[in-house]
Amino acid sequence: MARVSLVWLERPGLEGLAPELVARAAGVELDRGGLLEAAVVSGPQAAAPPGLKGRLLGKPVVWLDLALEVGGGDDALRLARAALAVARAAGRAALGTLPPVYAPQPAQNVLVAGAGLAALSAAQEEAALGHPVLLATPFDAAHVPGQDDDPQEVSLLAARLPAQVELAPGTELTELTGAAGGFRARLAGPQGAGWQSFGAVVLAPPGQWASSCEAPGLDPALTQPVWQLRVQEVSGPPDGWLYAAVLAGTARPLTADSFARALRAALALAERPRVQVVLLYSEARVASDHGERLFRQCRQAGVLATRVAPGGLAVREGGRELAWPDPLLGQEMELAPDLIITADQARAARPAFLDNRLLWPSWESLVPDNPRFSGGRSSRTGLYILGALRGTAPGAARRVEAADAAAEMHERLAGKLVPMPVVRDKICARCLTCVRTCPHGVPRHVVDSIHCAPAGCLACGVCAAECPAQAIAPPGWSNPEMFAGLQRALALAAEPRLVLFACQNSALAAAGELSAGGHAWPAGLVINPVVCAGRVGEHLIMKALELGARAVLVAGCHEGNCRSVTGNLRSRLRAGQCSRTLGRLGLAPESVQFLHLASNQPRVLAQAVAQMAARALEG
Amino acid sequence: MVNTPPSTPILILGGGVAGLAAAVDLARRGLACTLAEREPALGGRARDFCCKAVSACARCGACRLADLLAEAAARPQITIYTQALATSARPAEGHGWQVELAPAGPAAPLPIGPGQPLPGRVSLAAQAVILAVGPQPFDPAGKSSLGYGRVPGVISALELEARLVQGAWEQRPAPAKLAFIQCVGSRDQSLGRLWCSRVCCGYALRLARLLKASRPDMDIAFFHMDVQDYGRAWEEELAGLRREMRFVRAMPGEVAAGAGGPEVVFALAEGKQMREAFDLVVLSQGLGPPAGAGALAQMFGLARTQDGFLGRAEEPVAAGAAGVFVAGACQGPRSLTESIDHAGLAAAAAAAYVASTKGAGRG
Amino acid sequence: MRLNDGDPGFKHQVAAEPGGAGLKACFACAACTARCPVAGHLPEYDPRRIIRLTLLGRREEVLASPLIWRCSACYSCAEVCPQQVRFTDVLTAIKNLAARAGCAPPAARAGASLLAKHGRLLPVGEFENEKRAKLGLPAVEERPQDFQRLLGMAPEGREPGEGPA
Repeated sequence: MARVSLVWLERPGLEGLAPELVARAAGVELDRGGLLEAAVVSGPQAAAPPGLKGRLLGKPVVWLDLALEVGGGDDALRLARAALAVARAAGRAALGTLPPVYAPQPAQNVLVAGAGLAALSAAQEEAALGHPVLLATPFDAAHVPGQDDDPQEVSLLAARLPAQVELAPGTELTELTGAAGGFRARLAGPQGAGWQSFGAVVLAPPGQWASSCEAPGLDPALTQPVWQLRVQEVSGPPDGWLYAAVLAGTARPLTADSFARALRAALALAERPRVQVVLLYSEARVASDHGERLFRQCRQAGVLATRVAPGGLAVREGGRELAWPDPLLGQEMELAPDLIITADQARAARPAFLDNRLLWPSWESLVPDNPRFSGGRSSRTGLYILGALRGTAPGAARRVEAADAAAEMHERLAGKLVPMPVVRDKICARCLTCVRTCPHGVPRHVVDSIHCAPAGCLACGVCAAECPAQAIAPPGWSNPEMFAGLQRALALAAEPRLVLFACQNSALAAAGELSAGGHAWPAGLVINPVVCAGRVGEHLIMKALELGARAVLVAGCHEGNCRSVTGNLRSRLRAGQCSRTLGRLGLAPESVQFLHLASNQPRVLAQAVAQMAARALEG
Repeated sequence: MVNTPPSTPILILGGGVAGLAAAVDLARRGLACTLAEREPALGGRARDFCCKAVSACARCGACRLADLLAEAAARPQITIYTQALATSARPAEGHGWQVELAPAGPAAPLPIGPGQPLPGRVSLAAQAVILAVGPQPFDPAGKSSLGYGRVPGVISALELEARLVQGAWEQRPAPAKLAFIQCVGSRDQSLGRLWCSRVCCGYALRLARLLKASRPDMDIAFFHMDVQDYGRAWEEELAGLRREMRFVRAMPGEVAAGAGGPEVVFALAEGKQMREAFDLVVLSQGLGPPAGAGALAQMFGLARTQDGFLGRAEEPVAAGAAGVFVAGACQGPRSLTESIDHAGLAAAAAAAYVASTKGAGRG
Repeated sequence: MRLNDGDPGFKHQVAAEPGGAGLKACFACAACTARCPVAGHLPEYDPRRIIRLTLLGRREEVLASPLIWRCSACYSCAEVCPQQVRFTDVLTAIKNLAARAGCAPPAARAGASLLAKHGRLLPVGEFENEKRAKLGLPAVEERPQDFQRLLGMAPEGREPGEGPA
């Protein structure tokens, strides 16, 4: 076991704490600039002076944001809390005798499978960051746009494609496995099919028009979708009016983008001679660029903007007559249109290989409806899903998405090395739990062992929490290291001993805000930061209790806000299981709790910790 | 002159979510940048936004500020100055900009979060500039018929958020009857604001649901014209919201003081006039061009959109002046998440511009 | 109500009248109805409904409706309208069309006759001018000619809408 030194960085929030006293209380040595075996640093990595990093190179180091765990209160309390935090970190550092395992250089090349604005923007952005790009397009040239793209914009992009972009025309991606730094893709082209390796993959198939479902039974002879409308061919009879009904989300409201297209069609029709346009919609979705202006222009041009309740449009007379109630006039309105235009939206077919449930999660898990997964990201690291396939509006939004995806991808492949999860091959039972549960698709079972994609790991630790053999963990976050940290800290902690497992995407920021505001934490509280609440499994919770904690609180992100998709839900499930186990053993089930939290809810955290402390005192 | 680096590849003006996201994105691309924020603390308006999760994340994106702050603080490529105001700018020789920064007011007693107060007047040479100065929320007093600042019990949506952030109703009961009035300063030709602000339906309904969760018997009326779209599962979410509160499709003509609280005067769909008293009336203010848009446009010679936002509507991040880019809601109404994403494209464009001028210098 | 039976040209005609330009901008937000003091007393009077019928091209129904003459011209609707419809002015345009179509109600016609005859709605006679003289005010002369020209009425008070004399 390594000898641990405390490297003291003066930080805001550590004023008045004597480093010697903290080190002595925590049972470690204070670093005085000599040789180091293992270290705990009292500040984050970004605050380290230039010389320090060299001295720490290759040594086990825990960068500890000490101020965050100390908080306010009197000097004795702050000293005790500082010692506790240093002891916890020292436990981890002492065991971390091996430097992190880094992967061989991840593959740098990128596969962009698709066509149109999204695919070309992605190819261009990634090439600009120095990555070789293979653009596999189903068409025979790069300049063919998706049906919802602006053809001019696309041909301009195609003409300016950088030299690092290699074009594979008529080529389709038929199979895909792996994660960032290590994808295997099967491409089928005119020259046959074969497997190739890529560092990252972008899926951006071209959009194809689909008509909105407005009402069943419309006369097909009168009906056409917006994309088929040829406005120049429409004009009214010399002695009367042509009635054109534009159905823009009568059954179900449209997206702002589709509504804007319907508005443009309505405006163009209204400008034709002797044409009366009736625009029917359930909600005017004007939240697009100039959507509201366009809506007003339509009305000014004579379009009758008419609201119907969703599904309130009746179709009669063999689809040649529309009827709907008007609550203001208290009457049923009828219209026999000469022309019916239905709104449209571009969609892209989902690649069939994604339906393989052994290799791919469900679509909802792959592209979670989660604010942390914007900018083209998917839950599979290194895989970006853009454009019509994702449902992104045409135009600028697709360029935004491609640029964001490129920056993220570049850092993942070419940024600082990502420590790989360590698999202890001798203990591993090949049960494939890690393969099933890793939210990012990093571990794969190859021949008879677990292999990890070199740039895919986010260190969330779900694998470590779930692995029944305790054989896999991101470096620094293995069970023995975490146990040792808890052991050292809980041995120092005052009664009642409490453990807070704080997810760094939510609870840790909230705790930091409280500490910075001078919040006095209970003396016996051990704050244990984790990369994701998903790191906290039954082993860890039960160990904390075994080591003397009276209560354990696991605080993770809100449902649908986890960076590892469902790390928080797994942790909530595990906490519930522990709680039930305690109940069956005749112990207090409420001593293990889970809390959903966001980084901007510090008061919720303070309240939950105070309640935990109060319960522990009673019990 | 103080001891600061006199040049930076890219200068970002504004340290809200868009500015921070642009800085982080540039760092991901391996580029250094300097970020100048006017206030003593980073974060901009997102600092005052609360988490709107009830049983699950409401996807408002407010929590992403903490992510961005942590990431910006951890990146050595990012230099952050707080309390820094751009006072003038001129094109530098060749390409790029020479921007004068001046301290905005006396230094705050303690640095709040990452960054250091601008130590004095600084003249900074930047190869490219990203403007991320954020939008200006509409002042509801400008729509005088709705009683803001005149009728007790009428507050703006931002004030409601601030009350929630401060935990106003954690100790005492929340109001029993509440009205939200939408499109205040949006979709309004009479105010010269003919745009949909894109965020108000979403934030108002999420705030309403959050309040309703704290007090399930709360009676909430939602006065609106149309409900806008908020992503994939929105229609289903909306169906649930319609069961929880009253959706009144009418714009109130007036909010008047009454004995039992502010009274909303509106008309039903069939034309009947109504007058209903509420405990609290919340005006969902829209987003407009930044307050300093004119000065900035003059300083850098920028284009303005038809609605007065910075840049050009047809190009997402170009500002209309060489080497200047716009990010986030100062270019047009955007949500937090949209602003963060948009800043990524501005960063990419700025990086491409810097790379292209380097090439030109060599050739 | 059948939309095909309406006259799509009617709304353009109203919009082309002085004051009618704002008509088509209406997006039926109901702020005007909420604010209208007349609607408070006369439930069947609803600015939004008159606009809707006009947009739907119900020419006869609108022009013959007694409701279009009920407006008190207080401009509350114009004050709150987010689309600058200026309903009071739109209604003036509609009333002008109605008058030309011979749909003006007797009261409006009587008013017009008085204007054409006296140049004002309250005739000024010797009695009034004597009183004015006592107060040191100049005498008022009746000058109906301007109104006759404006209303297109002959001195004897021909009907509006029958064309200029």
